[in-house]
Amino acid sequence: MARLLELEGLRRHYGSITALDDLSFSVAAGQVVGFLGPNGAGKTTTMRAIFGLTDLEAGTVKWDGAVVGQAERRRFGYMPEERGLYPGMHVGEQLEYLGRLHAMSATSARGAAETWLERLGIAERIGDKVETLSHGNQQRVQLAAALVHGPELIILDEPLAGLDPTGIDDIGDVLTEQARAGRCVIFSSHQLDQVEDLCESVTIIDHGRLVVSGRVDELATSGPRRLVVRVEGDRDATWAKGLDGVTISEVNGGEARLVLGDGVDSDSVLAAATAKGRLTEFVLQRRRLSEVFREALV
Amino acid sequence: MKSSLIIALLVAVAAFRVWRRVKRRSPTRRQSSFGFSPFSGDVALVAAREMRERYRGRIFRVGTVLILLVVAGAIVIPTLNKGKVQSQEVGVVGPLPGYLHAVFTSYAQDNDVSVGFVPESSVTAAKGALRSGRIDLAIVNASELFVDKSLSDSSNSAVPQLATDLGDAEAVADDQLSAAQTAELLGAKPLPITSLHPGAPNETIGTSVIGLILIFVMLSQYNTWILIGVMEEKSSRVIEVLLAAVRPIQLLSGKVLGIGLVALSQATVIVAFALLLAKAVGSNLIHGTAPLVLLSTLVWLFLGYAFYCWVYAAAGSMAERQDQVQSLAFPLSIPIIFGYIMSLTAVSSGSVSSFFRVLAYLPPTAPFAMTVLVGLKQATLWEFLASAAISIVCTVAMSRFAANVYRRAILRTGGRVKLREIFGRANAS
Repeated sequence: MARLLELEGLRRHYGSITALDDLSFSVAAGQVVGFLGPNGAGKTTTMRAIFGLTDLEAGTVKWDGAVVGQAERRRFGYMPEERGLYPGMHVGEQLEYLGRLHAMSATSARGAAETWLERLGIAERIGDKVETLSHGNQQRVQLAAALVHGPELIILDEPLAGLDPTGIDDIGDVLTEQARAGRCVIFSSHQLDQVEDLCESVTIIDHGRLVVSGRVDELATSGPRRLVVRVEGDRDATWAKGLDGVTISEVNGGEARLVLGDGVDSDSVLAAATAKGRLTEFVLQRRRLSEVFREALV
Repeated sequence: MKSSLIIALLVAVAAFRVWRRVKRRSPTRRQSSFGFSPFSGDVALVAAREMRERYRGRIFRVGTVLILLVVAGAIVIPTLNKGKVQSQEVGVVGPLPGYLHAVFTSYAQDNDVSVGFVPESSVTAAKGALRSGRIDLAIVNASELFVDKSLSDSSNSAVPQLATDLGDAEAVADDQLSAAQTAELLGAKPLPITSLHPGAPNETIGTSVIGLILIFVMLSQYNTWILIGVMEEKSSRVIEVLLAAVRPIQLLSGKVLGIGLVALSQATVIVAFALLLAKAVGSNLIHGTAPLVLLSTLVWLFLGYAFYCWVYAAAGSMAERQDQVQSLAFPLSIPIIFGYIMSLTAVSSGSVSSFFRVLAYLPPTAPFAMTVLVGLKQATLWEFLASAAISIVCTVAMSRFAANVYRRAILRTGGRVKLREIFGRANAS
């Protein structure tokens, strides 16, 4: 049975601002989980709470059935939102040091540092100071710092921010690989397309409360049906306006994305479209993650 | 002596065996890349990193060399003229009676110089010789003295007394006393003087000053390292990564321990260098109780660092930028500067007031004041130990307070944290 991260009734205020409001959810290991929410939803506070970096007013964090303490946290890997490395320290020594703080021996920490730098394509920078690296390479070192000790639970706060497509692919591959190896990978991001590509599950919070949680496939196929329809010569999709039970989600270059209400038959939409002109596209689509996100926060 | 050596050797071997056994039982910490760490655990890891980064830094290496050069200069320069008898040339215009000749002989003995007489043809010639530096002093017609530089110049400090003595001799000669009577009068010894504040022996005054400077420089330097080091960990956000693995108190303890060991090792090197050099050149630094004063300096450097490092660490956790560090550092340095100036004043005057004695028992100023009291032989062993005990107790209390501040402030970002924010109602929310 997969290990489980359980958050139960987390509560935290900053002055009059509620950061966590009785937040509870659980995540099973062996998958990549997207942790989503608008700015100020409480994502970073939740992640910091897992690592004991913020004082909770109530609630517990459990890993594999046990309340998380310092011994458990040594088996976790963390990449904070605002990157944290010693700017003037050499890359290899820094990773070795962080590995040793997670109870590794010097030899194995050094070996793991070399392996990860090789894996992330920056092996030749092992003797350089962190401050001399580009933003993308510093991001890679930061990821290596979170993974060097082979953690069971990996929590990454905005790991894809500021990366080029190659960097996103590289980090995405690593996260998927870690999940396949049985680790629990949780990361937050505002880049929902990437989250949709990478994650098996998502958890969405708002105002410190759980809004939606589930597998991406299930969330995408649940809810109202989506139709993508294009009628030649009607760039504004005027033909769809006024259709009963149909909401126009977006119009892009004549391609209309429609949300069908309960009881609306797609055949009636097809008839309405063909009546207005030549039909060039008519596709039934799943809910995008961005739509799941927006609809969850309404 | 032999038996002590054997016992020390046995203890060292036993300690080594215990250490090997403990090391073997801990497979996850088999080998240390921070090899010079004699400790184990997270605190040792943090301390070892601090030590390695500091030893590697250019500031440490250049700073150590500069301090050693200054110490070498302070020890060697005063000994360069030691043992050499300086000669002074006295230009003589007109006759120089025998009784005045005797006065010059007495002047030469009192001032540890040799005096030679150079006949000058005229006052003008004597002045010219003075200006050129060929002679140091000129006496004209046994009635007037000429010097080239101002009388306030230290090289002329004995000249007014010489003039008085010459005048006395002239007056005695005018009284037409016999040669024996004249000699008796001129040879009269001054009355002995006993001061109620005898001051320090010369050899420990210099040592005390060196000790004070060492404590001041090192406390300022290493506490600033702590302040900036803590601030940089906070501002670079590496603190979140570190605290995800270790407790705040472990991180803080490792930092102050590491930097403290760097400070102590540097101070030990400086003191050892000073002692060895002093012995090699025959300096006063190793005479009498001077080595004891140096040892006391090391003790108070340690105690001073132990007290202040917590204060500076707590302050560093409240800052996030360089300008905030500067505004925090100034008020913290006031007691250090105050203690240093008060102590320099006391050691140069050779007397201590009751207020100064109080300073020697207050942890912020004790490192300076007690060093001076030891140098002036104004402190007994019990007074020394009492002051050290007060300092240790206050250091323990300060460390608890600082750890509390550090824990609450280090993860707060978005501006300088204030104490009332940490302990006020805002924290309760």
